[in-house]
Amino acid sequence: MRLEKCYFCSSTCYPGHGTMFVRNDSKTFRFCRSKCHKNFKMKRNPRKVRWTKAFRKAAGKEMTIDSTFQFEKRRNIPVRYDRDLMATTIKALKRSQEIKAKRERVFYKNRMSGNKLRQKTENQALVQKHIHMVDTPAIKNLPQVQKVAAKNKLMDVDMS
Amino acid sequence: MGRLRRSRVHKGIRDIQRKYRTKRYMRDIDQIHGDIQPENAHKFEKPELDPELPGQGQFYCIPCAKHYINKESLEEHQKGKIHKKRVKLLKDAPYSQAEADAAAGLQKADTKPKKKEVAMDTAEA
Repeated sequence: MRLEKCYFCSSTCYPGHGTMFVRNDSKTFRFCRSKCHKNFKMKRNPRKVRWTKAFRKAAGKEMTIDSTFQFEKRRNIPVRYDRDLMATTIKALKRSQEIKAKRERVFYKNRMSGNKLRQKTENQALVQKHIHMVDTPAIKNLPQVQKVAAKNKLMDVDMS
Repeated sequence: MGRLRRSRVHKGIRDIQRKYRTKRYMRDIDQIHGDIQPENAHKFEKPELDPELPGQGQFYCIPCAKHYINKESLEEHQKGKIHKKRVKLLKDAPYSQAEADAAAGLQKADTKPKKKEVAMDTAEA
């Protein structure tokens, strides 16, 4: 059983699912679902469509360079069945997946690390900009707020 | 889904359906990327006379994969925005199945090293 990757979104195409398009130069394209096929027909570049894996990797949203990626490969060399080898392989698979998941979590954390500070400064800037709208006596009596209020009042007079 | 919803999903637009038929399939961007490579330039140097093509297939724009009726219209096209956009698009490497595989975390297939094969043959003989 061969599990191909979808040309458009890089998800797995399981047997009996999706479609394959064969171009007139005999190059084949596999699609996991009609959504991917339709997007291909529209000649969209998967690198520019935000929901594809290719976009996420190209835009630095996901981990790209890591030693854990080197395990998943298409093996074209047949290996003679060996029970012990099978057991150790499965064990190693689980372990490598664990490590990969851990590294992905770290990557995500790093990617999101500056967000809280940025959000905070943005929020503070927003409040500072519209401080005259805050309806608390302590803030209302501040000189800069009163200045803005006076200016607004003048503008109102001008309008009428 | 009511009557209006059904009619508003662009399902029955005849022109669009026809546009995406395989009969109308234009050369893909990765094929054109191959065409514009200098080693393939000889293929487009002396085109054969084809009565079924516009301008008998003599005035072909390689980046846009399109035939024109005469030299003037080809040059006019090459001055235009559509052509320039296409040339710009062709500057970056085309998307491929290998990239899709890499994005899914699948590495390149490992194949049998050829040198070993030869050594085995000699050992058997």
